[in-house]
Amino acid sequence: MIEVQHLTVDFRMANDRIQSLKEYSVALLTRRLSVEKFRALDDISFSVKRGEVFGLVGHNGAGKSTLLKVISGILKPTSGQLWVGGPTVPMLELGSGFDMDLNGRENIFLNGAILGYSEDFLKEKYPEIVEFAGLGQFIAAPLRNYSSGMLARLAFSIATVVNPEILIVDEILAVGDEPFQRKSKQRMLELMGGGTTVLFVSHDLKQIREMCGRVLWLEHGRVRMLGDAGTVCDCYENQGGTL
Amino acid sequence: MKQKRITFAQGCAALLLLYFLLAVLLYAIAGEQFFWRASQQELFIPESSAGAEPLDGSHVLEQSFWLEGDRIDSLAFKSCTYGRQNSGVLRAELADENGAVLAAQEYAMQQLPDNGFVPFSAAEALRISAGRRYVLRLSGRDTTPEQAASAVYQEQATLPGGELRFDGQPIAGALCVELRQSDALWFGPHYWQSAGIVGMLLAGYLWFLCRQRRAGKKGLVLNALDAFQRYRFLLRQLVERDFKTKYKRSALGVLWSFLNPLLTMSVQYIVFSTVFRNDIQNFPVYLLIGVVFFNFFSESCGMGLMSVVANAPLLTKVYVPKYIFPASRVLSSFVNFMLALAPLLAVLLVTGQRLTKAFLLLPFSLACVLVFCMGMALLLSAMMVFFRDVQFLWNVISILWMYATPIFYPETIIPQAFMGVYKMNPLYHFIRFARLAILDGVSPEPRAYLFCILAAVIPLLLGLALFRRTQDRFVLNL
Repeated sequence: MIEVQHLTVDFRMANDRIQSLKEYSVALLTRRLSVEKFRALDDISFSVKRGEVFGLVGHNGAGKSTLLKVISGILKPTSGQLWVGGPTVPMLELGSGFDMDLNGRENIFLNGAILGYSEDFLKEKYPEIVEFAGLGQFIAAPLRNYSSGMLARLAFSIATVVNPEILIVDEILAVGDEPFQRKSKQRMLELMGGGTTVLFVSHDLKQIREMCGRVLWLEHGRVRMLGDAGTVCDCYENQGGTL
Repeated sequence: MKQKRITFAQGCAALLLLYFLLAVLLYAIAGEQFFWRASQQELFIPESSAGAEPLDGSHVLEQSFWLEGDRIDSLAFKSCTYGRQNSGVLRAELADENGAVLAAQEYAMQQLPDNGFVPFSAAEALRISAGRRYVLRLSGRDTTPEQAASAVYQEQATLPGGELRFDGQPIAGALCVELRQSDALWFGPHYWQSAGIVGMLLAGYLWFLCRQRRAGKKGLVLNALDAFQRYRFLLRQLVERDFKTKYKRSALGVLWSFLNPLLTMSVQYIVFSTVFRNDIQNFPVYLLIGVVFFNFFSESCGMGLMSVVANAPLLTKVYVPKYIFPASRVLSSFVNFMLALAPLLAVLLVTGQRLTKAFLLLPFSLACVLVFCMGMALLLSAMMVFFRDVQFLWNVISILWMYATPIFYPETIIPQAFMGVYKMNPLYHFIRFARLAILDGVSPEPRAYLFCILAAVIPLLLGLALFRRTQDRFVLNL
């Protein structure tokens, strides 16, 4: 389903990102426009099969998010090959696709549209989304009145209403209350049963162990370890203490 | 899949049909202006200094002049009665250089005004050959020297390539005349051919697209169409979002879309009609057209500028075509712009402006300004990602742009020497077009259409090119 070969991503760190014309011209004049390359991902290779739940672990800055961005087509890799066998649906971070001034209903349509759902599909699934998010009459209230848990529930409901080919989950299940976490886990399992491939990023090793089949451990942009969830998590835990 | 192919071909056919309908409609609205344009050369000698001898049967007064137009629109000369009761007939003739009389008219001498213009209506709409000399000949009959009228002339003036003769003897000066003429335009007689050729090209291209699509090939245009099809819903959602949130927490809500241009116009009207005097007729409408056009420009560019940067959290998470953010901003400003036309209509009615069929040309300038703003928003939003200074620079530039656009002043105050630079401003062409269509009630000359199209399409292409080239690097700089 996902095939990654020798994937490398370089960021240009030209004396800190130059964001103004003045800085640019000063750097140009003083010939300090040297391009320092920062290698965010270095020669990553792995493949994910259909229906697999694939975990990504690693410290902050290890390159997990960069890898997800490359897979969802947001970032172009510097070199290497990438093959993705279907549309990816990302579960949005809290609020990134939401408009706080609109109400729940309007946000469902806005967010659904961003995720590429069609209008008919959204209209049909609307009750399901509302029901699953469990927002009750809050659906008519502007989002700025929502608690963060409610936002997360809404985001999760919108992202998982479709049976996506590839679902990308970046640290989202940790939010919401206990019942909702159980519900969402249930839904994830349903999706996986339905053949959805899930890419799962979390710092919560307990969750990773529970949900994932295989796990990739990234460190400083390199593959540190790739194997089944139990083994990798054990090693990561041991190492994590010392690092 | 089959279903879709049919609808694509049908869409192409509908587009073609629409094109030809519009071509016919345009001809019906603006046909006259495609054939003739008021000539630069105008003969006008308003003040007289002397009167010629009475024109009884034995005298003839001749004024020759050199004409550069292709048609005479109006011709008048100034008669003189010496302040007495005359009788008899005054004959006016317009002849070409070979002496052939092109137009003639006779006047009863007793009805002629003293030192007033007399229209030579027989010469109206007379086709002439450009760059030839013509003679206006005045003579009298059935009268006596004591009862004959004549014409007045200005001793200090001359007419181009002409002289004044009395019975063949040259007199210093020139007859008081008023002559307006028009130049023939290439476009009018060739309108149907041109429209046909463009239509054929369009048809050919659409046919090519259909074939390409059937073969499953992808091209720039097909890809764009596909993307548009797929993301149309998102685009609508984004436009709706902008519109809903804009006035969400204001008491008057959407009324502001109507009020804003009206209030701006009122303030400027008070300032510019009392402090700076001008002689623009129907100044409120003149002002309001400028205000709504410029407001749309500054709002769409200001919002478009931030569109990519402000949606950074989204852009770094989901794949959506990045064009959609500036496009949605410009479109939501455009909705606002459409609403602002309602107060414009109201002011048109209140000021009693007479509307002609040329009013129907207004959508053309609206479309042009939309395309132009789209290009500017793409350009600015892409630049903004890499250089955040653009937003501060833009504040200054938009003020400069405002003064460089004839919003509240007549374009005639711009010195002729700067006109060339001045006309580089695309907004100038769009606003001028709209004003001609509404205030003058005539279609602009064919050249104005071309300028509008160029002024809209060139920025769009620039914007698209820059945006396309840089969009892959957006994520790295957000």
